[in-house]
Amino acid sequence: MMKVLRPVPVLLLLILCVANMAFSCVGKSLEIGTTGSVQQEVLANIIAELIGERTGTTVKVVPFNSSDEAHAALLKADIDMYVEYTGVGQTVILQAQPLADADELYKAVKDRYNQELNLIWLKPFGFDAAQSLGVTLPAEAAPVVRKDTLKKFPALARLINKLGGKIDQQTIALLEKEASGGQSKQVAHGFLKNNRLI
Amino acid sequence: MIALLSILSLLLFTSCIPLQISEVSDLVISDQQVWQGEVRIKGVVRVTREGSLTLLPGTKLVFSRIDRDADGIGDAELFVEGEFVARGTADRPILLTSAATNPQPGDWKFLYLDYARKAEIEYLISEYAYSGVQVHFCRAQISFSEFRYNIDGVRFSTANISLKESYLHHNRHGIRYEERGGRGLVQRNRISDNRIGIFAVTRGEGRTLFELNDIIDNEPYQVKMGLQQTTALDFPRNWWGDDKGLSAETVFDQRRDRSLGRVTGTDPLDRPINATRQIEGD
Repeated sequence: MMKVLRPVPVLLLLILCVANMAFSCVGKSLEIGTTGSVQQEVLANIIAELIGERTGTTVKVVPFNSSDEAHAALLKADIDMYVEYTGVGQTVILQAQPLADADELYKAVKDRYNQELNLIWLKPFGFDAAQSLGVTLPAEAAPVVRKDTLKKFPALARLINKLGGKIDQQTIALLEKEASGGQSKQVAHGFLKNNRLI
Repeated sequence: MIALLSILSLLLFTSCIPLQISEVSDLVISDQQVWQGEVRIKGVVRVTREGSLTLLPGTKLVFSRIDRDADGIGDAELFVEGEFVARGTADRPILLTSAATNPQPGDWKFLYLDYARKAEIEYLISEYAYSGVQVHFCRAQISFSEFRYNIDGVRFSTANISLKESYLHHNRHGIRYEERGGRGLVQRNRISDNRIGIFAVTRGEGRTLFELNDIIDNEPYQVKMGLQQTTALDFPRNWWGDDKGLSAETVFDQRRDRSLGRVTGTDPLDRPINATRQIEGD
């Protein structure tokens, strides 16, 4: 039993819950969306682990059912980023014509996302996403981040871009296989450790 | 007459009878309070700039697991802008802990000292928090205390901190700090069995002296630099669990990322300090 031993001239008990005050550091958390596949899970966890380990920032992985849902959440600032495919960005999100050349496609979605949506495409991971997903759309996978998130965390783009080109076809296949048992976080951690990124 | 009696009754109630409660939700303390015994905290307890909270030996604060913003981190906390004095004894330490049946790191948020006018902590145990204690923009003295099973054991930024004779173990980060012009003395502590012993996040310039500590068995890293820690840091005169000193394999610095500064542990000790003898009751 607690006792207040000295007089209590002012004691204010707030019955209603107050919203959590934005007390600096712990409030700096980030949210990454995933769109349901094992590949998405493992890539999101790689980003989450990298950010968490290198900056101490808390990162939460939030599941969605589709790119449409994740994209809508990103636009509403419900999440800070998710991994998108250039082919999906071009044809589904932007409703534009497919482009055959991977570099041209990446540049096209990067420019339009930046100018029209205030979203930034970071460096692609390096594998052919169309091949890895077994679809015909020519595509690369890359993190798409809210521009205001990058302003709040100025070092974030440089950090996440360390993953650029680090995951080739063979590596993503191996990561997916390892993570298929539901151990995405552990697989992601192992990948980063083996590549001396954390 | 009735009015007079009412006033006298009110004065008697508010100033003479000790208030006994065992549970609080959100609470603002703007006066001087002394607590003892056990209290369950189910929200944010805030000690304002004008306020003061003293915890007597044996006091137990039990924080409920509440997650108002659904970020996975408990939101119950003790936030101090005024005075905070928690002096336990070796026999009767003060305990800050989780109410959960199966407690986990991050069940509650932290003891947070922010621009605190006074912060003195002795023989306190803080466990299962996001941060066992956070110190920001103020002076704080912490000794003979234990920080265990937290995400961050002791965390500070832009502070003048003295951390001595304490035991930091089984946290994700034993110590996590952003110096940012602050100064500190971290001396005669045992920092062991954390994932990261010392996490220098950013803006460290060597103003915080870590010496005469036992820094051992922190895996994978005894010392880790954060993404923006570009200045070299030295941790002199510590025991690293090996008479050869601090092993490069147990450090994350410019040897793993060229943009970072370099970590050194000059003049390593050749035997442990056994710094927490008093806490462990050896």
